[in-house]
Amino acid sequence: MSASSSQALEYLELLPAQTHRKLYEQPSTALAVFRCMLPHLAKTIVMAMLYMTSPFTASDLDAWFRHDSKRERDKAISVLEQLHVVSARQDTPKHISYELNKGFGRSLRQALTGSGTHRSFGVPAQSTEERASIHFLDQYAQRQWENMLFYMVGSTVGLATANLGLDVGEGTKTLLRSGDFVRVTHGRVSITRTGFTFVLQEANAQVWSLLIVYLKHAPQLGMSETDVLSFLFMLGSLELGQEYTISTLSQTQVQMLEDLSAFGIVYRSSSTSSTFYPTRLATTLTSESGALSFSSTAGTAEAGGSLSSSGTSGARGSASKGYIIIETNYRLYAYTASLLQIAVLSLFTNLTTRFPNLVSGKLTKQSITRAVKLGISSSQILSYLTANAHPQMQKNNPVLPPTVMDQIRLWEYEGERVEPTNGYLMKEFASDHEYKDLVAYAESLGVLVWKNEGRRMLFVERLEQISLYLSKKKGER
Amino acid sequence: MVKAVKGTLVKCDASIKAMLVKMDEDHNHEFIIEDLDEEHVLVKDSKLAELKQRLQSMMKERLKEPESSDSD
Repeated sequence: MSASSSQALEYLELLPAQTHRKLYEQPSTALAVFRCMLPHLAKTIVMAMLYMTSPFTASDLDAWFRHDSKRERDKAISVLEQLHVVSARQDTPKHISYELNKGFGRSLRQALTGSGTHRSFGVPAQSTEERASIHFLDQYAQRQWENMLFYMVGSTVGLATANLGLDVGEGTKTLLRSGDFVRVTHGRVSITRTGFTFVLQEANAQVWSLLIVYLKHAPQLGMSETDVLSFLFMLGSLELGQEYTISTLSQTQVQMLEDLSAFGIVYRSSSTSSTFYPTRLATTLTSESGALSFSSTAGTAEAGGSLSSSGTSGARGSASKGYIIIETNYRLYAYTASLLQIAVLSLFTNLTTRFPNLVSGKLTKQSITRAVKLGISSSQILSYLTANAHPQMQKNNPVLPPTVMDQIRLWEYEGERVEPTNGYLMKEFASDHEYKDLVAYAESLGVLVWKNEGRRMLFVERLEQISLYLSKKKGER
Repeated sequence: MVKAVKGTLVKCDASIKAMLVKMDEDHNHEFIIEDLDEEHVLVKDSKLAELKQRLQSMMKERLKEPESSDSD
């Protein structure tokens, strides 16, 4: 499971059982959930149960696991239960059996064997005279997406006068505002803490973050959440470069196409066209391979006024090429002409000089603390620098000079003396046994943050499953 | 019966915690819900931002550090 889909998983887990049941009616959704939302162990369990005709007893399941792997087992089962893929049934006291959700099982079998007439994997359009090439789609997606990112970053660092980021649609702007990615005060756009986290993520994770905000606001726009979600999962299973017809889509989904094409996730030749193309942003939604990479990009180079034709054609090939060099004396050189990248760098670097293909500057205490104040963490900065380090730097191990890494962390730590975690404090346990039992359970779920045995207290990040567990326990007694 | 209290767990050095507790006392205990151990306190969700800000200004007051020069 990649980092990007984990936030989608978090969102999915919070949906009610009813929504899950409706979602699982679509084979494409069942497949997508199976393929990229479930941890590996959970996948194995689902696969084993897929063709079982009767419920699967808990004792049989336990027989599959070593005793010392109870933790992993609990975690996998709890994810499956949260998603309502598997449900536990208590036949008699002490005798629990698990059952695969009927709809999920049927849909997944259909998806795997290609049976049924569900058409949930999209219907390719027959015609047409002119097809958009994959290269064109990539460029389109990149341009739309970068425009949006630049809208967020550019105005904060004072590069707003550039001609990039101006043609961002009203709908997109509203969405960014309601997702708390940017804040508008007196007509000036400034980026927020959430926004920074967003910009520094890799593209695939960005797409999911934005779509989750979109999902949360779907009901306000009169769209059904289920419809929106199953459409997104369908998009993830489409083929890049293939044209699809909109005739099989629901009203909501057609309405969505408009928004999605503003983000660059799908492409339509005109807003009344009866077909659409998924772009790379869409087709990588539910896969583990990386989405578009935004390093040396043609789209931004163009806006920066230094487009070369080789840059346009070579952009895809050298997609993962890094461009940042950092020396042990904190000096930073970045081979880029992209305004977006310069803007991102200037969030935490004191940039001093710009050449046609290079910017240089220095990481200073001031620039780092400024970034920290705005909400970027040192680990975000470091991972951004590492991910985009120049090939020559990549040969080193570690990639960045250790002195620089340590210093950046120290600078941050100086400003941030406290480490807050939201959650719940559990206390007043009746017995030691009860306390230890819950600690072990919270630990296996990975929600335990702090515990104190002497005072019988623990602190958890999330309560839902804990309270479920407690009430289940109560029932047993 | 087990009780669950909503709040924000704040992890910090013992010295910082002492400052937090002092601030709490100066303000009618409106920040801290429970003092957990040497390095942890439970703080009201809504008051976290204010507490952080107060801590920053308190630190600035007490710790005078030399300005580093960045000229080169």
